[in-house]
Formats: sequence, C-alpha cells, structure tokens
Amino acid sequence: MLEMQGVTAGYEGVPVLRDVSVNVGRGELVGLLGANNAGKSTLINVISGIVPIMSGRLMFDGEDISRVGAQRRVELGLVQVPEGRHVFPQMSVRENLLLGGYNRKARPERGANMDHVVSLFPRLGERLGQLAGTLSGGEQQMVAIGRGLMAGARVLMLDEPSLGLSPLFVQFIFEIIDKLHAEGMTILLVEQNLSLTVRHADRCYVLERGVVAVEGASATVADDPRTRAAYLGM
Amino acid sequence: MRWTNFSRRSCRGFFVGSAYGLLALGMGLVYGVSGIVNFAHGDFVSLGMYLCFALFTAFALDPYVSVIFTVPIMIALGALVYRFLIKPIAGRQLLMVIQLTLGVALLIQNGLMMAFGGQPTRAPSMIESKLFLVGDVVIRGAHLVACIVSFALAILLYVMLQSTDTGRAIRAVQQEPRAAALMGVDVGRVQVMTFAIGVGLLAIAAALLLPGLPIQPTQGLRFTVITLLVFVLGGMTNFVAIMLGGIVIGVAEAIGTIYMTHTLGQLLPYLIFVAIMLFRPQGLVWRS
Amino acid sequence: MRPDFWPALRSPIPWALLALAATMPFLLPNYYLHILTITLVYAALASAWNIVGGIAGQISLAHSLFVGAGAMLASALLVKLGINMWLGMIIAAAASAAMGAAVSFIDYRFRLGHLSFALITMAFAEMAEIYVTNTEFLGGASGLFLPKDKGDLLAFQFGGINGVYWIMLGMAAACVAVNFAILSSPLGYNLRSIRDNENAAQAIGVGLLRNKTLAMTISAVLTSIIGTIYARYLAFVDPYLLVSPVLTIEIVLFATVGGLGTALGPALGAFILAPLGEILRGHLGGFLPGLHYFVYGLVVVGVILLMPAGVWPSLRDRVLRKPAAAGN
Repeated sequence: MLEMQGVTAGYEGVPVLRDVSVNVGRGELVGLLGANNAGKSTLINVISGIVPIMSGRLMFDGEDISRVGAQRRVELGLVQVPEGRHVFPQMSVRENLLLGGYNRKARPERGANMDHVVSLFPRLGERLGQLAGTLSGGEQQMVAIGRGLMAGARVLMLDEPSLGLSPLFVQFIFEIIDKLHAEGMTILLVEQNLSLTVRHADRCYVLERGVVAVEGASATVADDPRTRAAYLGM
Repeated sequence: MRWTNFSRRSCRGFFVGSAYGLLALGMGLVYGVSGIVNFAHGDFVSLGMYLCFALFTAFALDPYVSVIFTVPIMIALGALVYRFLIKPIAGRQLLMVIQLTLGVALLIQNGLMMAFGGQPTRAPSMIESKLFLVGDVVIRGAHLVACIVSFALAILLYVMLQSTDTGRAIRAVQQEPRAAALMGVDVGRVQVMTFAIGVGLLAIAAALLLPGLPIQPTQGLRFTVITLLVFVLGGMTNFVAIMLGGIVIGVAEAIGTIYMTHTLGQLLPYLIFVAIMLFRPQGLVWRS
Repeated sequence: MRPDFWPALRSPIPWALLALAATMPFLLPNYYLHILTITLVYAALASAWNIVGGIAGQISLAHSLFVGAGAMLASALLVKLGINMWLGMIIAAAASAAMGAAVSFIDYRFRLGHLSFALITMAFAEMAEIYVTNTEFLGGASGLFLPKDKGDLLAFQFGGINGVYWIMLGMAAACVAVNFAILSSPLGYNLRSIRDNENAAQAIGVGLLRNKTLAMTISAVLTSIIGTIYARYLAFVDPYLLVSPVLTIEIVLFATVGGLGTALGPALGAFILAPLGEILRGHLGGFLPGLHYFVYGLVVVGVILLMPAGVWPSLRDRVLRKPAAAGN
C-alpha cells in the first residue's frame, strides 16, 4: 500500500536516510525501531512530505507521490501523529478533533469519525469542552491519536506514542493500537521500546544511522543479534 | 460643568478607543499567526484614509460608502505585500522583519506624499456634523458609528475565529504551526490570509477614524505607535484585552489633557505603555 | 574572522583615504561639500548605532534621545545659560551616557526580549519628542538659534562648512575605528555572543548587564557628541528633526543596508543612501516631495530581500570569493 523505494533524504542537502526501502501492506501494523537519531522521525516526515526526497521514490496505492505536497498527502490519508503530541493547547478537545478533520476529504465525515473517536476514547467524550493544554500527557496522546483518525487516516503514522507516559497509559495506548489494527487500519508505528513493539507489530524494521539494519517478522527481528547491535550503536 | 466636560471627554475617548482597539486586533491577529510586528501598520491606515479621500474627490463618495471599494483593494494589497515581501524573510531575525516593514512604511508614506502632496486635507462624511444628546452629554455621530462598527467587527472576528473551520485553522497555526501542517492546514496560506484580513480591517478602521480628522501622509507612524500601545496593553493576542486596551488608551489620551499639564497629558499613554511593558508584560488581562 | 585593530591602524590605506578625504573642501563646491558633511554625520550616527544595534543585536529605537540631548541640551545650555558649548557637549554626553545606562539597566532588570526592547525604546523616543517640544528651556516646538559661527574654536565654532567638515570627518573616522576596536576586543566577542544567544552567553560567563551597558554607553556618548556638532553646523536646532523618531529610523535603515554588525557596513550604507537622498531632495523635492524617502524605502526593501546581510558583507564576500559568513 505504502512503499518507500531506495529513498535518500535529509535536511539542507545532508542526507539522514540513505537508500531506505520500507513497505507497509494494507491493514498491516509495521514497527519502525531504532536508537535515538537513527532517522525514524525523518522517515515518517518524508512520508508526510515535510522532508524532501533527494533520490528514490515514494509509492502510495501504486502511484508515485514523491512530488506531492504535504497538504495533499493528508487528504490522501497519510496522517502523522507527531512525537510529543503537539495538541493545540488553547483549544478544547472538541476543537482539536474538529481541526483534525479540517482537510477537504475528511470534512464531510467528521460526525461519524467523531463518534468513532469517542467510542475508542470514552475519556475524551467526557472532556470534550476542556482545553487540551490542561489535560494529562496520556489524555493529550488520546487527543493526538483522535485528531489523526479525524483526518481520515488510511495509514496512521504514530511517532513515539508511548514517550513520557506512565506504564498504565502506555498499556492503554497499545490496546487502542491493537484495536485499530483489528479494525483494519494500516499503522506505521515508530518506537524506541523494542520489546513492546515486537509484541504488537506484524513486521518490524530496525534503522541504524539512516539505513535499514534489520527487517522481517517481529519475532525474528527481536531475536536477531543485529537488532541489539543497532540499539547499542555498535 | 467640569463633570460634563469629563464625561464628554471620556465618551469621546471610549469611542475613539474602540477604533484603536480595532487597529490593534489586526496587529494581534498577524502577530499570533506569523510572529510579525508590522511597523507599516499605521501607514496602511493612512493608505486606507487616502483611498477614501481619492474616492471622495473623484466621485464625491462618502467614506463610509468607499469602504465597499477600499476593503477589497487593501485585502489584495495586504496579500501581495505578505506573499512577496514579508514571507521571504519571515522567521528570520526580528530586526530584519522590523526593518522591512519600516521600508514598506517609507514606501507607503512617501508614495502618498508624491500622489497627494504633504498638505493636511480632509474627506468629510455626511454624518460628520450629526450630534446626539444623551443626558447632558453630546455625542458625535461619527464617534458613535466608530464604536458600534468596531465592536461589531470585533465580535464578528471573534465568532469567526471560534466557530468556523478557517478560524480554527488560524488559531491552530498560532498555537502549534507544525501540528497544524500535519493536519493538512496550509500554514503559508493561513499566514497570507490573516495578514490580508488584518490590512482589510485597517481599511474599515481608516474610514471610521476619518470623519472630522485632518489627514497627512506623515501621520502613519503615529497610528503605528498607538496600535503598538494598544497591542502591548492587550497582551498581544488576547482579543478581549486588546479591545479593552484600545479603550484605556483612548480614554487616557482624551482625559489626560484636561487633568494634567499639557505635556504630562500627552505623555500619559506612553507612560502607561512603558509601565505595562515592564510590570505586566502579559498584558492587562490574562487567562487563568 | 576578527578584524585586527592595531595592524589595520598601522596600515597606510586608511590614513591615505583620510588624507584624501581631508582635501575635499579645496576640491568640491560648497553644495557638494554640504552633502558630504551630512553624509559624514549619518555615517557617524549609523556607526555609533551599530555598536548596540548591530554588534550586540539590541534594536534600540531610542537613539534620537542621544542625538537630541547632544543637540538640544548643549545648545540650550549655551543660548539660555551662556555655558560654553564644549562644556555643554560634555554635559550632554554625560546625560546621554546616563540615559543609555538607564535603558540598559531597564533592559537587564526586566529581561526584555528583542521585541519589547524595540517597543520600549520607541516609546522613550516618542516621549522625548513630546517632552522637548513642550519644554521652553530646550527651545520648545520652535527650536533654538545658535549664535553666528565666527570661527572661535574655543567657543565650539569651526568657521563654517570647511571646519565642520573636518571635525565630522574625524568624528566619523573615530566612530568606525571604535567599531573596529570593539569587534577585535573581548567586548566585541561578548556582545556578539549576547546577540547570538543571550542565555548561552550568560551560561559561559558573559556578564549581560556589564557588556550591554558598556555598549549602550559608548554608543550614546558618541551619538550625543555627533548631535552637538550637527547642531552647531545647522545653527538652527529643530526638535522635529533632531529629536524625531524618524531620525532613528533613518539611522537604523542606513546601518541595515550597509551591513549590520560589521565595522564598515553602516558607514557604507550612509554613503550610499544619504547623498542619494540629499540629491533627490535637492533636485526633485520641489515638485515631488517624499521621493527621496520613497527611494530609501525601495533600497531598504530591495537590500533586505536580495542581500539580507547588507551591501558591505555581500560585496566583501564577492570580492574575496569566500563563502558568506553570517554576521561579521
């Protein structure tokens, strides 16, 4: 469904990713692992159209979208839930969700999507009128994911959703991810937490300093000694 | 007698102050979305006034009617200025943006000077001489119109920001531009749009301030400074506080001159400004 | 790369240029000498402002305060109290230094950001104009007339345009030299680190208050002295010219066009814009008032968009064919 073919990309002419090929099949939950600065966030920012591609191709539904603008990619359903959540602090939860459904494609579906989000996160349903900036970190993560779903995500890209959350919330967020996966959502999950990710993902990629070091089914990736090496930076 | 004088002055200050508030709303909107403080703000007001003046001399149009033409012209101009002059340097050093807008101020001010000459001139309105009596306070029609329209526009703008998709997009860019972009908001377009709206508001404010006011091409800096005073008083982005700040400055200006020596009266708005800047940098009103 | 002050001072090039410039009164007709003198005034003002606005990155819009003090106060002391203008110049410079230090202290004490600093100094400038035009001692709105220049050097009289030209030439050269000296000294290093990142500068032990105050005081004293000389040259001291915020805006624009934070840029900016402005005003001001400011506006907007670092750094980099170094 989403296919990155030999992509080299980076900032201001300095490549961060080198010849990276990653593919995500329809309905799959794919984990993207790696140490800090391995290029994980850069990779999903390439998919979101924020970091330009220097060489290689990005295919989505069989079409080359390497040159498609960031706004248009959201409309196509490539939606990123950014690291650190970045909810709109001075807006209510409802407004945050409505803004998630801002793009042209998602706007007509906002009612239905809102119901879906509230059924996933009943806690948000109780707090629709509250300013997002006053929520706890875990609740903000729910808003961020909910906002992504409101945007009509066909591929949901989650950047470190467990970052800075209490273990209880981490567990809850992963339950939600499983649930979305079970509903047929295609998910690209960027995580540093190796053991947690391999337990939930179908397949995983491990990035090391901008190249794919290991890839395969979650279980084999977890057992591969190179995975450990990539994490320890050896 | 003194009391009447006081209430007449305060009323005048209140009414004019509401138009000042409108001037600063435009600045606050742009600052929130693009982080730009436009030092050509007052010169855009000047431009709006001279456009009214030109329409008056050419077609004898009343300034209030001219707004139909001046608003779209100014909106288009604002969009062009942002797109081609400000956007290339937005996000760079603050000094650069200040300098650039000062350059734009020179262009507008002296463009007007070349087109209309430096002599003070006026564009009269039919309601300019209309007076209303409320109790024993005389209110000038133009001031009343200025007040009503300013508040109506402020409320309209507030409702637009709170409850339309465009308004939400504007606020989203203010609060988290990166996340807004990830949600499919075209941040660049929102910035151009808010700048254009801000300049469009100035076209209306210009018409409201115009009746009875002699205009001169060099007046722009004065309006910029007044706007900055109000803008800072209002904590820069808080709408309600900005309107309030406009009234504080308007009233301070109007009554400062009767209760204090001439000099002190003139200095009063600036003294208030400096005090607020130093001791309450978040503005007069703040969110809890 | 830091410019080295002492070798530059030993090099014959600046001295030869200065000597050449000093012969201008014998070569140029009075009208052009007048333009050159005005240009030197602005070159000196822009260089003095650069210490605060360029090297330290503090957007001061209050410099009309210091020009005004130098011009109005020294003149008033002479006209109203009969105090010798040399002494008046020193008193005004001391007053400017005190005001400059006060502005720096306020900046430090309240930890003003760049925007707040610009706005507050702008408010000070507006207040200064209101205060001066309402104060009879300083000449009020109508200004002051200085006694006729009889060439008595002890009474701060330079004997007409030639004398003022030489004095201004010396003053402008001194201002540029001070810029060079600061850029090649620890103060310059401290100021630039403050400009680039105030918190980081403080973390490595750069004293904010001390360095900012020093920069502002030096700049204020120089500006005030220029103001006194300029007043003497004009003979009629007009508050709407000399205490006007517009004057500061002109200075800031000249410095920006030339190249902020460089030693030569601000003076170069003045040499590009001031003669252009004066000539346009002299020839076309009659039927197109405002044209020269309009052209300033065009140049400023054009330079900021095309050469954001300013004319001097762009020229230097093009000539020396080295990659653009930010700032200095």
